[in-house]
Amino acid sequence: MFRFFLNRFGATLPTLLGMSFVAFAIVTLAPGDPVQMELRAMGVVPKPEDIAAIKAEYGLDKPFLARYIHWLWRAVQLDFGTSIATGRSVIEEIGLYLPATLMLAISSLVGSIVISLFLGALAIMGNRLTASLLRAITILLVSIPSFWLALILIHVFILDLGWSRLVGEGDLSDLILPALTLSLGAGASLGRLVYERVRAEACEDYVRLAIAKGISPLGILISHIAPRIIGPLVTVWATTLGWMLGGAVIVESIFGWPGLGQLILQAIGQRDYPVIQGYLVLMGLVFVTTSLIADLVVVVADPQLRRRLHRD
Amino acid sequence: MTESTFDHPLKRRRLLSWFAFSSGQTSFLLGVLMLTSICLLAIVPSLLSLPKPEAMDLLARLSPPSEAHLFGTDHLGRDQLARLLAAIPISLGAAAQTMGIILAIALPWGLIAGLGSPRLDMVMMRLSDIIMAFPTLVLALAVIGFMGASLEASILGVAAAWWPSNARLIRALVLSAKERDFVRAAHMAGASRSRLVFRHILPQILPPLAVMISLETASVLLALSSLSFLGIGAQPPTPEWGAMLNEARPFFAQAPHMLLAPGIAVVMTVLAFNLVGEGLRDLLDKREPFRW
Repeated sequence: MFRFFLNRFGATLPTLLGMSFVAFAIVTLAPGDPVQMELRAMGVVPKPEDIAAIKAEYGLDKPFLARYIHWLWRAVQLDFGTSIATGRSVIEEIGLYLPATLMLAISSLVGSIVISLFLGALAIMGNRLTASLLRAITILLVSIPSFWLALILIHVFILDLGWSRLVGEGDLSDLILPALTLSLGAGASLGRLVYERVRAEACEDYVRLAIAKGISPLGILISHIAPRIIGPLVTVWATTLGWMLGGAVIVESIFGWPGLGQLILQAIGQRDYPVIQGYLVLMGLVFVTTSLIADLVVVVADPQLRRRLHRD
Repeated sequence: MTESTFDHPLKRRRLLSWFAFSSGQTSFLLGVLMLTSICLLAIVPSLLSLPKPEAMDLLARLSPPSEAHLFGTDHLGRDQLARLLAAIPISLGAAAQTMGIILAIALPWGLIAGLGSPRLDMVMMRLSDIIMAFPTLVLALAVIGFMGASLEASILGVAAAWWPSNARLIRALVLSAKERDFVRAAHMAGASRSRLVFRHILPQILPPLAVMISLETASVLLALSSLSFLGIGAQPPTPEWGAMLNEARPFFAQAPHMLLAPGIAVVMTVLAFNLVGEGLRDLLDKREPFRW
C-alpha cells in the first residue's frame, strides 16, 4: 500500500515539472519586453545600455533554459519574485487572498456534492417522469452562466428581500450566496452523473442477480451499487474543485469576496506577470494535490483494488 | 418504483415521448429549433429598421422597455435589442473559432495518439495531462494575462485550456474504434493507413464526436461570455452578451432590464447547444437498465 502511495506520488513529479515549464514558458513567450514596459510604467525613457544593464541584473540575458532552472529553483522555495504593481512579494500577496478562495471553492464543492446526491437520489427513486423533469432542470441549470446567476441572486436576495448584504468582509454568512452560485450548476451536472452512473451499473449482471436474490432496491443501491460508483465520483469531485477554483474568480468579483479573483483580475489589467505566474503555479499545485488525494481515496474505497495492493 | 419489470419498454417509451423530456428526439429537435431561430434572429436587424447597435441616444438613457425600444436602452442610450441581435454573430463566431482551434489540435492529437505506437501514445497523453493539470479557467486567465485583454486573447486562452480533455476523449474513441473486426479485416486486406482512418475509423467516431462538439460549444460559450463579463474578453463597445452584462453592473438597481435580456440570450444559446448534445447522446445510447 505504502509502495503504491510512493509510486503515485512519484508519478506526479514529472507533471509538476511540466506544469512549471508551461507557466515559465508562457511569460517568456508573452509579447512585449517586460523591462521596457516596467521602465515606461515608471516614466523613464529607456536608453539601450540601461536596458542591457537591467537585463543583466535580472539575468534576462541568459539563455532560456538557464533562466528556467534558476526560476524553478526559486519557485521550489515559493519565491515567485515581486509584484510589479505593489512591490510586495508575490507569495505574500497570494497568501493574503488564497484562504478566502480556498474556503469558497471547498464550501461550493461540499454544496454541490450535497445537491448532486439529493438530485441523483431523487431521479433514481422517482419514476421516468421525475427523472425526465429533473434532467430538464439539470440541463437548464448547467446552461446558466454563474455570473448571471450571481446577479439574479443578488437582485432577489439582497436588493428585493434584504436577507443578505453585499460587502466583502469575509464573514461566514457572506459566503452563502457566492457558494450557492457556484454549487447550483455544478451540483446539477454532478447529480446527473450520479444518476447516469447508477443507471449504467443497473445494466450490469450483478444487479440482475441481486434483484433475483430478492434484495430490496435500497439495499441494492447502498450495498451493491454505491461501492462501485464512489471511486469515479471522487475523481469527478476533484475535477470539480478545479472548476470551482476558476469559477471563484467570476463569483468573487461580483460578490466582493476577498479572494484571489480580485488580485488576478488586477494583475491581468496591469500586466503584472510575476503575480499571474505565481497564481497559475499555485492553483495548479492545489489542483494536482487534490487529484492525488482523490486517487488515494479511490484506492482506499475500492475493496478489490485494496486487496490487490495488499498482495503486492 | 411504480413500474413493473413486465411493462414492455418500447410501449412505455412511445407513450411518454409525447410529453417527457427524456426522449432524445424531443431534446434534439428543440435544440435544433432554438439554434435555427437564433441564427435567423441574427439577420433580423437588416430586415427591421432597428437603430445601429452603437447609435447613442443620450436623452433616452436607461429607459425601460417601450415601443420605441422594445428591450429598453442602456446607460448610453443604445438600443438593447439591436445590441442583443448584433451580438449573435460575435458570440457564436467566437465560440465557433474557439471550437475550430480546439478541434484542429485535439483531432490530430487524439488520432495520432490512438493509432501510433504505445510509446508515442504515452508521451502525447503525458503532455496533454500537464495542460489538464491546470484548472481550465485559471489557465485561460493566465493566457489572457500574458496576451492582454481582448476577444482574440480569450479565444486563444479558452482553446489552450480546453483542447486536452477533448484530445483525450477522441483518443479513447479511436482506441475502441480500431479494435472492431471490420477495421482489422480492412487492415489485413491491405488497406492503406489513410483509408483506414478516413473510411473506417472516422465514420465510427463521428456520432460521439458530434455529441462532444455540441456540449463543448456550450461550455466554451459560457467561458467566453464569463471572460467578457469580467472585462477581459470582448471589449466595449463591442456588442457581446457578457460584455453588455458587465456594462450593466453599475446600473443594476436602476435598470434591471439591462440585466435580464443579455443573460437570457446567453442561457438560451447555451441551452440550445446542450439540448442538441444531450439529445444526440440519448439517441445514440441503446442500453436499457434492469428494472426492479
